[in-house]
Amino acid sequence: MTSKVYVALRVPANPLRAFEAFTDEIALWWQPGNLFQLTPSGDGRLAFEPGVDGRLLTTLADGEEFEVGRISIWEPGRRLVFTWRPASFTPEQSTEVEVRFEGVGNETRISIEHRAWDTIPQRHAARHGFPEHVTLQRAADWWRASLIMLGNKLGV
Amino acid sequence: MSTDNLDRTLAALADPHRRRVVDLLRDRPRRAGELAEAARISFPAMSRHLKTLRSSGLVEEDRAEFDSRVRIYRLRNEPMTALKAWLEATETMWTRQLVALRTHLKKPKQ
Repeated sequence: MTSKVYVALRVPANPLRAFEAFTDEIALWWQPGNLFQLTPSGDGRLAFEPGVDGRLLTTLADGEEFEVGRISIWEPGRRLVFTWRPASFTPEQSTEVEVRFEGVGNETRISIEHRAWDTIPQRHAARHGFPEHVTLQRAADWWRASLIMLGNKLGV
Repeated sequence: MSTDNLDRTLAALADPHRRRVVDLLRDRPRRAGELAEAARISFPAMSRHLKTLRSSGLVEEDRAEFDSRVRIYRLRNEPMTALKAWLEATETMWTRQLVALRTHLKKPKQ
């Protein structure tokens, strides 16, 4: 059983600019008020520390900082991968977000894949020489089929 | 929806053997021994996984009709519904964020 969320959208910018806006300027566009907030005090003001091992931090209204996750892949204009751990998660729980930037003419297609609990076992399987996805995806989710990929509706 | 319950569901599913159990129970209820065999792990190891799955509310235990000493495990739907809701909420969130980013990129850079 595996689970991930996938969305994609085309934005009017080249991939480098789109990457810069996604990372450096996240506080300028991030929409708070989601069903699952990052902390009990809300989402706060988000900021990426650039580069691998950089943190995704949020600063709350009282000035307190909360680490949402850590960057594992930082390829400006191409790819960004970071962990995503809302305050409600237990220490061993984590999810992973992968953002890809692909040039399409004068625009960029940004796709986001948010992987839930299947992240760690896949790495584990890869380390032991099994092809990734094969064992986990064989057991396809009955409910996953019902998730409509918004990329189809909104993407290219 | 309770976030605590969802966290327990995610934690319970953070193990390949427990996900295998959930997949197996999707077909039909099964005995612990059957599950251990199918997942290729020892009976005590399977018992521990079943305990975790029970406390997360993902599976429930029943006595077999033909023999009350035999325990049968079956899947409960509620936690999966919570999980599906989490996925849908996450999808909605990223869609909102991407639309907001696109709007941001349409503005001239300051």
